Amino acid sequence: MKKLTELKKVVSNPYAYVRKYKKQSGKKVVGYFCSYAPEELIWAAGALPLRMFGTSENIHLADTHLQSYCCSLVRGILEEALANRLDFLDGVVFPHTCDSFQRLSDIWRLNITGQFHIDVVLPVKLDTPSAKRYLYDVLEKFRKDLGDALGVKITDKMLAKSIKTYNKIRRLIATLYELRSKNPQILSGADFHAIIKAAMIMDRDYFLEALSEIVGQLKKAKPAKATGGAKRLVISGSVCSHPDIYDIIENSGGVVVGDDLCTGYRYFEGIMDEKKPPLKAITKRYLDRIICPAKHFQLKERGENLIRTVKKSKADGVVFLLLKFCDPHAFDYPYIKEMLEAKKIPCLLLDMEAELPPVGQLQTRFETFVQIL
Amino acid sequence: MRTAGIDIGSITAKAAIVENGKILNTKVIFTGYNAEAAGLKVYEEVLKENSLSKSSVRKIVSTGYGRNSVKFADKSFTEIMCHAAGAHHLNAHIRSIIDIGGQDSKAIVLDDQGKVKNFVMNDKCAAGTGRFLEVMARALEVNLDEFGAISIKSKNPSKISSLCTVFAESEVISLIAKGEKRQDIIAGIHESIAARVSSMSARLGITEPIMVTGGVARNIGVVRALEKKLGMKIEVSSYAQVTGAIGAAFLAASL
Repeated sequence: MKKLTELKKVVSNPYAYVRKYKKQSGKKVVGYFCSYAPEELIWAAGALPLRMFGTSENIHLADTHLQSYCCSLVRGILEEALANRLDFLDGVVFPHTCDSFQRLSDIWRLNITGQFHIDVVLPVKLDTPSAKRYLYDVLEKFRKDLGDALGVKITDKMLAKSIKTYNKIRRLIATLYELRSKNPQILSGADFHAIIKAAMIMDRDYFLEALSEIVGQLKKAKPAKATGGAKRLVISGSVCSHPDIYDIIENSGGVVVGDDLCTGYRYFEGIMDEKKPPLKAITKRYLDRIICPAKHFQLKERGENLIRTVKKSKADGVVFLLLKFCDPHAFDYPYIKEMLEAKKIPCLLLDMEAELPPVGQLQTRFETFVQIL
Repeated sequence: MRTAGIDIGSITAKAAIVENGKILNTKVIFTGYNAEAAGLKVYEEVLKENSLSKSSVRKIVSTGYGRNSVKFADKSFTEIMCHAAGAHHLNAHIRSIIDIGGQDSKAIVLDDQGKVKNFVMNDKCAAGTGRFLEVMARALEVNLDEFGAISIKSKNPSKISSLCTVFAESEVISLIAKGEKRQDIIAGIHESIAARVSSMSARLGITEPIMVTGGVARNIGVVRALEKKLGMKIEVSSYAQVTGAIGAAFLAASL
């Protein structure tokens, strides 16, 4: 698949893609930091929303600003900025989620110059009537601040167009998840991961086109011979930017059939109502989407969602990939684990940093987990 | 039926030959640089000691971090699966295993069939492993094999607070400089390993009867310190170091 090869090339070097894209299209590029950033507005304003993923380089510049108890994602993103590798950004958008990202926003404002900086102060509790009114106001303010920063007036018409694009992408990604859940062998985990990551990097119109083509081809693809009894796993955690982990899981006799990740299903889930006034539709999507542990929506929603995901994808077990020092996820883990155990769903906990633990030991864990399932 | 298990660990390579449910022989050598060669060598040696030919062995299972470099094995299983199988065959009542090896430590909970129910693995840090003890033995100029016997004489174990092997070594060196007794320092080292391993095991929720396996199980000082920390009785088999290889040989019999 030509389009898939193209996406993989972009994902292997996002900065090169973005630099070239910026030069060719003249568009502005806006960095954002988590899946709660309302990127539909950024795209509507005619700028490219670019998700920040951290770094694979050694972190040393960021350590002069951040304590070692900050997660490697936050430290890695700051490292990239301090090392001037993000100088193509015209602006950044920090949604209010975990503490470390709030502090990163402050440090960024003090140390990274030459770009606009917007904090989107989202509500924490999402299941109250006041949250709905408040979030709408926040997004209205964001629309104005972003428009001012980019020198455009973001109209309802622009928003409606962006909503349509995102809805199409999200429907196709949902189809992709279903196709792979039914026939995991039609697409390797690493390739699947590349597609998902490309969605947060590329020109969204072009990505939609590429995605339609890929999904169209996969729908027609006859599954290769069945992967003799591979165990079906759901991954839960925050970001997972390790394509290698999918290979290691597949080499251990497992296959990922679903996820609850910030760089996965949580990012795509939720179609916006195209009949509603656009900002209201966006507001509703951010209130209703699957929450992350930095947000509150009833007491056990995250656990219940994970159990629903396991059932829907007919998974044999759950792998928690938790970033070390990510306290929101670490606080949620014990209760979710208990809920899974009560439903007799086996789980494996792996805590990791931007760098994966040695492959040998990771493989031992996955192989054992798959063997006891 | 005769089967073999080969366990390639980070420090030592182990082999076991099992025949009709009985352990015929076991062998331990150093792994060294070439895991593949070590696997072949330990296998040939264990056979030679019993004057057995390769063709008389029906099936071979490999395990340990070097399991995939044992090209002559019929199948490989992780060391977690093999320690469980080995411990179960050595004592069917065992419900939890603490395996302290050269480069990592693991706690494993078994069901009443001897199958792995749950496990946890420490691979972040060398404290709590055999490598930690090797480093300390060098600093103290004591043969590692004597560590256990020396430490149980201690009435007042030293405190080692560093969690990192490198810093713990400098802490030990300053204890030596302060003139603390060797037996107290060694007992302190054992307590610090026990503290690491027991907190990991407690989080997993281990239950008695417990067996300690892996090379470090040969050190009675560590085993006693673990019993004290966990408040539980621990069993040690004379086959502790080769439990994984024995388990592999038993798993080979059921292939």
